Amino acid sequence: MTQHTQLELIDVSYAPVALASEESNYILSGIHLAVKRGEWISLLGLNGSGKSTLLKAAAGLIRQGVRGSIHRSESGSGKPIPIVMQQPDAGLVGTTPWEDVVTLLERQGSPAEGLVQRAEQALREVGLGRRMHQPLETLSGGQKQLVAIAGCLAAEAPMLLLDEITAMLDPGMTAIVCGHVRRMHKQGTTVLWVTQSLEELLPGDRTVVMKDGRIVFEDSAGSLFRRSAPNMPDSPGEREGFVPPYAVKVAWELEAQGVQLPFIPLTAEQLAEVVASYVR
Amino acid sequence: MSADWILSNVSVLAPGDREKHLLKDISLRINSGQIILLLGHNGAGKSTLLETLAGLREPESGSIRLGEEHLWTGKGKKRLNGTVLKRIGIALQQSESQWFASTVREELAFSLRPYQVEGEEAESRMQAAMMSVGLDHAELARDPWTLSGGQQRRLAIACLLACEPDWLLLDEPTAGLDTEGIQRLTGMLSACRASGRGAIVATHDLEALLPLADGLIIVRDGLAFEEAPAEAVHALGSASPQALLAEKLLIGKGMLDAAETACAAEAAGLWQPPEELAKRLAAGLLGNERIAAPKLPIAAAIEEVEQEPQEPLESLYRLDADGSCQASGTVMASDSKKPEDKFDPRALIAAYLILSAGLLSLNSMPKLAIGALIAGACAMPFRRFLIPLLPIIRAFFYFSLVFILIGAVSLQPLELQWSKSEPLAIRMIQLGLIMVIGMPLLALMSPIRLQRGLEQTLGWLTRLKVPIHSLSLLVMLIFRFIPLLMREWGRFAQIVKARGKSTARGNAIPLRLLPYLFIPYIRAILRMAESMADALEARGFGQPAERTTQGFKLIFAPADGWLLLAAIAACAIMLTARMWL
Repeated sequence: MTQHTQLELIDVSYAPVALASEESNYILSGIHLAVKRGEWISLLGLNGSGKSTLLKAAAGLIRQGVRGSIHRSESGSGKPIPIVMQQPDAGLVGTTPWEDVVTLLERQGSPAEGLVQRAEQALREVGLGRRMHQPLETLSGGQKQLVAIAGCLAAEAPMLLLDEITAMLDPGMTAIVCGHVRRMHKQGTTVLWVTQSLEELLPGDRTVVMKDGRIVFEDSAGSLFRRSAPNMPDSPGEREGFVPPYAVKVAWELEAQGVQLPFIPLTAEQLAEVVASYVR
Repeated sequence: MSADWILSNVSVLAPGDREKHLLKDISLRINSGQIILLLGHNGAGKSTLLETLAGLREPESGSIRLGEEHLWTGKGKKRLNGTVLKRIGIALQQSESQWFASTVREELAFSLRPYQVEGEEAESRMQAAMMSVGLDHAELARDPWTLSGGQQRRLAIACLLACEPDWLLLDEPTAGLDTEGIQRLTGMLSACRASGRGAIVATHDLEALLPLADGLIIVRDGLAFEEAPAEAVHALGSASPQALLAEKLLIGKGMLDAAETACAAEAAGLWQPPEELAKRLAAGLLGNERIAAPKLPIAAAIEEVEQEPQEPLESLYRLDADGSCQASGTVMASDSKKPEDKFDPRALIAAYLILSAGLLSLNSMPKLAIGALIAGACAMPFRRFLIPLLPIIRAFFYFSLVFILIGAVSLQPLELQWSKSEPLAIRMIQLGLIMVIGMPLLALMSPIRLQRGLEQTLGWLTRLKVPIHSLSLLVMLIFRFIPLLMREWGRFAQIVKARGKSTARGNAIPLRLLPYLFIPYIRAILRMAESMADALEARGFGQPAERTTQGFKLIFAPADGWLLLAAIAACAIMLTARMWL
């Protein structure tokens, strides 16, 4: 493990202890994954593919039944890395964002000196500076997710582990939450972004696709739907059962017409961008 | 026969807040036999509008008609019109968790009950409904909870279809469905329209549903606007289907000809198929003198994608300066101190105990009158916290009255004797007064400050191995959990009322429907507790540190001193009254 690797999973498998006797019960098998400092990894997979389990194992939340080795660079304290999950309402304590983050820090034994300032700083970082004393029930789902993220930041989590945090949000809120997390990544935060939605990926994202507990694809998102030849339905995305978005279909047709694209766009914006860059 | 919806000047208020409008002055006409999409971000009022149409929310003003029939009838005290209710079927969000019966057949029968269809007719309706959502007839004998998530959603819709309503009202029907499920749903909606029925669908999934729509209603900040499906992209911005957005962006960049695109799109329906668009683009890219530039390295192209500022689309999903959604919740001025932070919880509790002791010492009716005056004066500044609790005060009053009456009965001779029940009356009045002054207490302290008060006062108990810190976290969790429990109750109550075609107003649930509410409710709260435990553990609440810390401490402020002084003075007056009167 090099200095820049924050998290490394070597040949990790997992089955619930009671069911570990049979090979078919494995929820994760043979996972190799290394996360470098400051990296963004998109983890993609359909329901039941094992992506949430992988995240929990990586965070150190699963204590029994995990085989293989998991290294966390900042695991000196042995503290698990926090994960933010789907349900905006489920993980919050207290009646305001401020109370939630302060309580979290206190429970974790963070030094009392400057604790409130750290909590407030984290809330400002996720754009909730003006809303930190507002009752939770008046916040939207996306804002609640940002509160949970602020909790991770304030607790100085080595990386953000985000498990489908936009699944319950509407498109507008999804864009806002994505935007905030992308900005934090640009400022150096390591992010592991679990999702089912192709539209949240950027072409340059290191993308890991899971299926039946295994990693079946690991490359940039822009090559997820790359076909080996025009009209050959053999792209990794198709193989793993993802429905190609409109932009992908247009890109395939363009390639069939002889227009070589540097990446296969997943959204309308990316399509417009890749076409425009082609002309220049 | 199917009929049009006619809404005129409909306004709906937020429950418990007479100032806040969820819907403002909505006038709409929705023609029969059409599929209408309701669009808008979460919290804009889509669900409220659907629930209002279904009679689950009472409009504050305005009228709602289905054809000639009014949804709310009666002059003074309004009542719901059962015949209108029977002509509509509503599926609320997450209505797949509503099952109470042990078989699918019983669930369908429950939905059919208000229609008084029985025997052959009922059986054939059930089968037809199951078929049109793609569920096998053999599933009728299964336990609904053993169906997969997608099948449960389809069953929820089958329950509506069995009733053969003129209008289907669906809230987010595609959420959580896979591609196949979505195709089935759109097929079912088209079939409904073909048979002359209409549907109003609240959704974000335009990719799937926009091609079906006869019209759009856009809900924003409680207002509703009608829009033609072809114009959707202007209103929807980044939430519009990829195809529309791509056309718009490409036209914006001069890569596509606007007029030509409009033609092509019109010929093909709402948008052109990907092949068409690609052909048009390729012609521009490969033809003319515009020879392909050397490929950009991926990294550079990505950089551009990221940095390209978003076009300021006039969109439903607008952002305000700090990047949060404008319409969701109002921003409170951060410098205004919350009412609950004014006093130290320890001072509040001490003052409360002192006042209670004073009230308990009053031992006759005239003395209690003085006590009532003092209690009233104490509660006066906090009266707005008391308003939502008035039903409880009223209930206590009636309850006491019954007790006092029973206490006054003497059997030989049969008569009411005041002297017999006077001690009881005094007790009940004391308790009533203590209750009233206690009511604002919870509103005056936030859970975290109450927790801190507990820790600072009783922290020494940890040395005796009393887990004060865990207990105080429990206090906070309870505060968080209770509103969620009440919300779930409200949600299931609405589902059951909609299925039972109950004409009860407001939050009241007819007794006959209660049994159908309990089972799904208990299941839902168990599941909620599980997901909360999961999420709390994942966020790091699961592993408490050896020593928890305190980021802030409560400090006794002058206001607290005044509060205590006032309590002591009031108590002194009451004690004096007891001595001298």
